[in-house]
Amino acid sequence: MSLAAEAFVSQISAADPWPENATLYQPLGEDQILLSDCASSLAVQAYLRMCNLPVQVCCRPNAEYMSPSGKVPFVHVGNQVVSELGPIVQFTKAKGHSLSDGLDDIQRAEMKAYMELVNNMLLTAELYIQWCDYNTAAEISRPRYSSPYSWPLNHILAYQKQWEVRRKMTAIGWAGKSLEQVYEDVSQCCQALSQRLGTQPYFFNKQPTELDALVFGHLFTLLTTRLTSDELREKVKSYSNLLAFCRRIEQSYFEDSQAGSSSRGFSKGPSLF
Amino acid sequence: MAAPAELYCWEGDWGLPSVNTECLIVLAYAKFSGAPLKLHKIGNPWRSPTGSLPALKTSENGSLSRPCDIITYLRKQKYNADFDLSAREGADTLAFISLLEEKLMPALVYALWIDPKNYVETRRWHAEHAPFPLNFFLPGRMQREQLERLRLVKGDKDLMGGEELETELYRDAVECINLLSQRLGSNKFFFGDSPSSLDAFVFGYMVPILKRKLPSGKLQQHIKSLDNLSHFCSNILLLYFPTDGRETFNRKVPSHPEGGDTDNEPWKRRKQILSVVVGLGAMLCYALLTGIVAIQHVQQESIEHRSPSLRSLSSHEEEEEEEEG
Repeated sequence: MSLAAEAFVSQISAADPWPENATLYQPLGEDQILLSDCASSLAVQAYLRMCNLPVQVCCRPNAEYMSPSGKVPFVHVGNQVVSELGPIVQFTKAKGHSLSDGLDDIQRAEMKAYMELVNNMLLTAELYIQWCDYNTAAEISRPRYSSPYSWPLNHILAYQKQWEVRRKMTAIGWAGKSLEQVYEDVSQCCQALSQRLGTQPYFFNKQPTELDALVFGHLFTLLTTRLTSDELREKVKSYSNLLAFCRRIEQSYFEDSQAGSSSRGFSKGPSLF
Repeated sequence: MAAPAELYCWEGDWGLPSVNTECLIVLAYAKFSGAPLKLHKIGNPWRSPTGSLPALKTSENGSLSRPCDIITYLRKQKYNADFDLSAREGADTLAFISLLEEKLMPALVYALWIDPKNYVETRRWHAEHAPFPLNFFLPGRMQREQLERLRLVKGDKDLMGGEELETELYRDAVECINLLSQRLGSNKFFFGDSPSSLDAFVFGYMVPILKRKLPSGKLQQHIKSLDNLSHFCSNILLLYFPTDGRETFNRKVPSHPEGGDTDNEPWKRRKQILSVVVGLGAMLCYALLTGIVAIQHVQQESIEHRSPSLRSLSSHEEEEEEEEG
């Protein structure tokens, strides 16, 4: 979202309450969505549920192209469209819904830093595994990503995306990493999160913040998604407090509304909802 | 370790041990941990073993280029600046380094390589420090690399979009700087009294913004307004890089009484001489190409022609030409 529009939005939206018909758009949940998008989408959903803001999830094959920033998920609220967790958090704050008001300056600094840790390491690692690991890209990412399109568009779009991600990895110096090193990075990141969480129910004591939503989105997705190898899942599973943390958020914020739809557990495949 | 590893990094300026953030991080970490390194400060990345700077040439692991890899290597060699940190502080270190990389790095790249006024300065510095044939295309190539990096990191955006991008990047950067300032508080270093790798990273990112003389310095003004961060940087410079600081101090002292323009004086004189030489050369070329060559021939020819008693018509004409010339 452009800055001018953002400033404008924050001014006019402050007055409007959160509408009932807010919609969250993401790629097709069953056949198309990939690990990283799924994690981001789940993080936004968790955040909105923590804020107690109702949102309807809508799957569209072209969600990526509908989004103003080219990234999923995005929410459509009233007459505004906002994409990604960071801007959505700001947007809800302008409407008077915030989870981090109770934090002091240092805690807020730490919260922002840990959110960037998740973006910098977990999200990048997910992208790396999806598009730069040969087996995962060939067996999972390319077929799923291009599933809504027919030949030859499916090949063109999938390779274009893969090419783009690989160039990003080169630019940030990840291109030379091996899969083992990436797993090691994920492990290091989980170790840091686990240390920070300790025995608390949420990262900052009793109340969840946007950091909790983001961490839940990524870890839960890593735990429930079936990839070519189980190594990543095992790495996350070895941190028992993180596992308990994911269960806690799932139970408090997702289970009530999901009770009838499916018996979703940790051992299930990539379909989350 | 038998021989100290060799570290290749960018040259320093403005009182800094190096001008480049990544090099500064490695240098600061090496100082903090007391690792003995053999330093090569160069202005030409092609002379580094990996083709990029910084680069650490080790005897057993080959050459390393990323600051994280270099720090990990030094840590394995028992040069660990984070030895005293608790696990929780180690986690905080990782988190704040991510914050710097995600929020401050794009703004720093923008400020040095894309902001049109500042890019002129950056380009000039790199052109002056690179050897002769490389100085023509190396700065341009580096800018293209940085542009590409920023474009990929920020997603598909038109980087020439100008002001909107600038405000967005600077807003993120200012937020990041504020958060770091709050985290540092009134401490000497981020975790107690001895510096750790997080201090090296913060120093590496902040000190170029603080010390470089750039025409448009919004971020610089912001850091200067935060006393604890600017103190933190000058403190590390003073404690761990005293020689680099003193060099510029000495350089500045004699130039001060003569006024502000004196820094440019040698360049000005050189430029004056160079332009006079080029001008003279051009005039000489013109003269040689049009008339003077012919006259020299004429002189020889006319001497040859004068010896016989009869003068030819052509020699008359040539004599006239000579008078005109």
